Amino acid sequence: MESIARKFRNEYANDELNLNENNMVPKFEIPLVPNPSEFLRAHTDDSKNPDCAIKIAHGTTTLAFRFKEGIIVAVDSRATAGNWIASQTVKKVIEINPMLLGTMAGGAADCQFWETWLGSQCRMHELREKERITVSAASKMLSNLVYQYKGMGLSMGTMICGVTAREGPAIYYVDSDGTRLKGDMFCVGSGQTFAYGVLDANYHWDLTVEEALALGKRSILAATHRDAFSGGSINLYHVKETGWVYHGNHDVGELFWKTKEEEGSFLNVPTELK
Amino acid sequence: MPGLSFDNYLRNKALEDSGVKLPTVTATGTTIVGCKFDGGVVIAADTRATAGPIVADKNCEKLHRMSPKIWCAGAGTAADCEFVTQLISSTLELQSLYNNRPPRVQACLTLLKQHLFKYQGHIGAYLIVAGVDALGAHLFSVQAHGSTDVGPYLSLGSGSLAAMAVLESNWKSQLTKEEAMDLCAQAIEAGIWNDLGSGSNVDMCVMELDKPACLHRNYRTPNVRAQKERSYKFPRGTTGVLQKKTKPVFEVVEEAVTRSDVMEVDA
Amino acid sequence: MSDPSSINGIACVAMTGKDCVAIACDMRLGVQALTVANNFEKIFNYGHVFLGLTGLATDVQTVSELMTSKANLYKLKHDYAIEPKTFAQMVSTTLYSRRFGPYFVGPVVAGLDSRTGAPFICGFDSIGCIDYAQDFIVSGTASDQLYGMCEGLYEPNLEPEDLFETISQALLNAQDRDALSGWGAVVYVITKDNVVKRLLKTRQD
Repeated sequence: MESIARKFRNEYANDELNLNENNMVPKFEIPLVPNPSEFLRAHTDDSKNPDCAIKIAHGTTTLAFRFKEGIIVAVDSRATAGNWIASQTVKKVIEINPMLLGTMAGGAADCQFWETWLGSQCRMHELREKERITVSAASKMLSNLVYQYKGMGLSMGTMICGVTAREGPAIYYVDSDGTRLKGDMFCVGSGQTFAYGVLDANYHWDLTVEEALALGKRSILAATHRDAFSGGSINLYHVKETGWVYHGNHDVGELFWKTKEEEGSFLNVPTELK
Repeated sequence: MPGLSFDNYLRNKALEDSGVKLPTVTATGTTIVGCKFDGGVVIAADTRATAGPIVADKNCEKLHRMSPKIWCAGAGTAADCEFVTQLISSTLELQSLYNNRPPRVQACLTLLKQHLFKYQGHIGAYLIVAGVDALGAHLFSVQAHGSTDVGPYLSLGSGSLAAMAVLESNWKSQLTKEEAMDLCAQAIEAGIWNDLGSGSNVDMCVMELDKPACLHRNYRTPNVRAQKERSYKFPRGTTGVLQKKTKPVFEVVEEAVTRSDVMEVDA
Repeated sequence: MSDPSSINGIACVAMTGKDCVAIACDMRLGVQALTVANNFEKIFNYGHVFLGLTGLATDVQTVSELMTSKANLYKLKHDYAIEPKTFAQMVSTTLYSRRFGPYFVGPVVAGLDSRTGAPFICGFDSIGCIDYAQDFIVSGTASDQLYGMCEGLYEPNLEPEDLFETISQALLNAQDRDALSGWGAVVYVITKDNVVKRLLKTRQD
């Protein structure tokens, strides 16, 4: 066990690039204060301190669910810093490799960096073992990694999605607390409750691919409508055993009115003056 | 004063104690100056009003009339300057009607300082009081806590240091009116350029013995906005409209109000 | 909890044109991240005077009702509707009377003087300091964005139809960069004879 754990530490990392050649875990500079994580929180947590100097982009709705034909992954694309909408075109699905998808909630930089790192780890596994890594193993690598940094201020809420011959479609929820859960359906982010509302009401195992894509899209749409920190556009993915397939970027601005008209839904939004 | 209401005070205090940040009010992060000359006194101010880092008003008025020949320049909390000068000005008006003679600058200063002292600095008004009366020309300043100053030249506000530098190096006794006006304008411009809380234009008021006071609104305008190179007009129909309703602005409503009816007024 | 004036999230803007004024607001009522309603209008009219209120929603309602009562009493006393300039003064004194326990509002007044037909707009801080402006007034959680839009788009002496496009685009693009406001918009364009009220088609996220 200790030998496994050592792999993920930086005891031998000391070269110029600050990269350990074995597992490419970088070594991070730690601020010279008694409690680095508290220091980080004091300067970056805008929910506790609106005046903090560094506002880390967050606020998200992401979802993934398993069904007969694989996995659907749907996410919004808004990034906020405080109340300021920093971007409406964020890619919140990280294409770890042609087979695996990771989603992004919480710190954008943390997710991007560690899921890219995960990609290289998966490739190393393939080269060593001459077979694809399981979703289970990949997600565990990530969760072990973030657990090393527990309490240091990492902020991630992610779903690792993939279909393998051994596991079938599999989704693992991994967050920066170190939680790692296997499940059929997850929604993550500030708009998660709204997405669950739609997803739970319409989900069943035997959904066709078309129905499942529509459901994923509709669930994120509901979340962007009610959650101030979710919005922009929706990115859709379908994961199969042959790899993931991208199903387009859908601007919420137009999608909302189209959906409202087609379904006769969203009656809370007035189209006439009082 | 009809009396301030403290109804919301406890609610807001409770919010503040629970860590809520109260909204920023408009402050006149300001440069104001005053300067005496032979036969009168002149005061001047910049015209920028700020709310935190935002320029809230690019051409506000910081010179307040207390009586026809007594004027005030205000720095600090904008609303406080406006209302404290209005209040004391009405008291002065009543007094001068009662006494049948124009008010004295000293009387104005005393009313201001007594009022501000009573509120222990919570009314954030920092004023330069100047004017001419039966005793001659006067120049005073009064701070939010109620203390006062007298002097041949004075400056107040966030830009007071820049302004005072100009006054200290260029002031001399027995200035002429034109020299005094120029000195004040230069002092305010020092504030406009060198203090971030001050900006835009120079307002000035000249009070001379035996002459009506003269307000020079936008005496200098060194910050005229450049003409836009092109128009940013949108073609009509750019904005999506779901519904449009038109009604007359002045609806003629004729109604007989009888005693037994419930009184009807506009909703 | 963040500051009271950005709990509910509101954007409001007023502009002057050629013999006309316009005032516009968003439609959202939220509690922090949660959008509770999207039919919450914050522009109220008192005769021919229009008042937009931003800030804490509870105070928006209280102040709007307080001003209704005051404007009605004014009409009963003088037997004519209150003018924009007078109304602005009334708002100012009302807010200043709560100097040491303010309502968390940022009012905007717009209207045409019924005698001269002159456009009038002004804004206030929470304790009643009046900001008389010749061009535009902005207020609310999207005010930084609105300042930018208006400084860029505004030009003087626009016809009512052009003023509508300018104020609408200023508001729409500002609220699209503010997480807490949006979800619809209403625009009033006030001319000598008519007031035209439009409901805009906006993003709903």
